[in-house]
Amino acid sequence: MSATAGQGRPAVPESAASRTRISVEGLDKLFKTADGELLAVDNVSFEVKQGEFVALLGPSGCGKSTILNMVAGLLPKTKGAIRIDGDDVVHGKINPKVGYVFQRDTVFPWRTVEANIGYGLEIAGMAKAERAAKVKRAIELAGLAGFDKNFPRMLSGGMRQRVALMRTLIMEPEVLLMDEPFGALDTHTKLEMHKTLLEIWERERQTVLFVTHDLGEALTLSSRIILLSARPGRLKEDFAVTFARPRDAVSLRETAEFGELYSHIWHSLGEEFRRTKAE
Amino acid sequence: MVGTKVKILLWQLVILATAFCIWEWGYDLRKVAALKPFVPSILDPYFISKPSAIWTSFLKLGCLSDPAGFIACFDKNPNNLWLATVVTLKNMWWGFVSGSVSGVLAGLILGRSDYLAKICEPYIVAMNSIPRIALVPLIILMFGLGDMSKVVTAWIVVFFVVFFNTFEGTRSVDRDQIAAARLLGASELTVLRTVVIPSALAWVFASLTPAVSFALIGVIVGEFIGAERGLGKLIIEAEARANAAEMMVAIFIMMIVGIMLAFVVRRVQAYLLRWQPQFERQV
Ligand SMILES: Nc1ncnc2c1ncn2[C@@H]1O[C@H](COP(=O)(O)OP(=O)(O)OP(=O)(O)O)[C@@H](O)[C@H]1O
Ligand SMILES: [Mg+2]
Repeated sequence: MSATAGQGRPAVPESAASRTRISVEGLDKLFKTADGELLAVDNVSFEVKQGEFVALLGPSGCGKSTILNMVAGLLPKTKGAIRIDGDDVVHGKINPKVGYVFQRDTVFPWRTVEANIGYGLEIAGMAKAERAAKVKRAIELAGLAGFDKNFPRMLSGGMRQRVALMRTLIMEPEVLLMDEPFGALDTHTKLEMHKTLLEIWERERQTVLFVTHDLGEALTLSSRIILLSARPGRLKEDFAVTFARPRDAVSLRETAEFGELYSHIWHSLGEEFRRTKAE
Repeated sequence: MVGTKVKILLWQLVILATAFCIWEWGYDLRKVAALKPFVPSILDPYFISKPSAIWTSFLKLGCLSDPAGFIACFDKNPNNLWLATVVTLKNMWWGFVSGSVSGVLAGLILGRSDYLAKICEPYIVAMNSIPRIALVPLIILMFGLGDMSKVVTAWIVVFFVVFFNTFEGTRSVDRDQIAAARLLGASELTVLRTVVIPSALAWVFASLTPAVSFALIGVIVGEFIGAERGLGKLIIEAEARANAAEMMVAIFIMMIVGIMLAFVVRRVQAYLLRWQPQFERQV
């Protein structure tokens, strides 16, 4: 567990014995912009163990995407260390074990739904028949059956995000990084997506680092919440989310434990939101 | 829906018929003294000929009315309408193909490499600020009066248009889409093939329709300045004889060629870009 973990509940991972997959130590990110320097991430350290679902929670602009991009190797870090399975993450070098779902819509508009989902398998050279079977299963799992041959522009935002999710999941990444994948969706669609994701994750148990600024979402999905402060992003607190699994995205929200933990973290988060506004 | 379509077509026909009537008989109205001030002298058939005369010239230039027969007339005149059209088309085609291919390649390479783009920038800006047509005499000096100089002229005109569009298109590819492809296992080359090119294709095609016209312009100007054959040469010869009808024949042929090629480009575009909403119904 990270030494800087906060004063909240003791953070106990769901399977304490498992090995560390992602480790972040003393991570800094300093952006050099036209009007000076901007410290986006300040001395952040945490670990994610095998099979954990960790939510990175914080107000908008606190550096969540920045952290995730550095973990994925998409952005150079300023200081600190990031390791995945003990190997240093090098900027620009993509780790095939890592899957990434973007905050923005990155579905390829010139590919049909099935060609989008099959993209990674196709470029890896998987035989057509084998690929088609896998894609078909993924499409069904995502509730997109019947839309196989559609281009993304004919899909709703929620459906496009499912395509993006399945496009990543079909590669069976061991470590899954997600940057507010449902941020742009309405509440109802979001809950649907939570169901789908929970279903898949509770079966496959990938190691997940999930960025969000939605506390309800973090509580519904994760087994641990790392709370970041307003910019510059610092580690504020670390909460274990111990609700029983399998979880039901809807009824979970009505339980007393949910409400209790919600208001507990909300208080802490509220301070950070106020700090963001005050700036 | 259908009603509107028919109406539009009807209006188009009315305008066409009116234009032809004015063209054919408009100048004759000058004979009526009262109307004379209202008939502009530009309608003089000496300048713009008239449809009936153009048709006669077409038959003559096309060897369709020669008493000696089509074959004899065709053989006798090395720059008859058909040969001239074929020569101009052929030169235009090669100029268009070489210009587009090299333009796309250069645009992709420089678009993907900031380093190379920075090195080449001043040269490209300098080259681009030369009016391409000003180079034609030089090109003819270098490549002679034959077909090569026309191909090169068309190439140089097409190249820059396609290059700039491809470059911009390559530059504006969504960085997150590239990152997404990389994270799904794509190599640099695969990214180019599966993300950059499809994404830049809309930009490339936006330049190909004008490029067709530019290729034709390039070839014709080349033929104006110095050529042995071709539609441009036909026009220059007719001009020497102050024969507006023959010039008009060549102009009409070019128009038809231009329309057909633009149509082909548009069909290919509609198919390749069928994922874009504006091409949804055209495939
Ligand atoms: N390329 C960049 N250059 C300069 N500043 C940047 C850059 N990228 C991000 N920032 C700044 O760093 C801070 C953190 O950005 P980041 O995108 O990580 O926020 P976030 O926590 O993901 O926010 P959100 O929830 O709105 O997505 C912001 O203040 C942002 O303005
Ligand atoms: Mg973000």
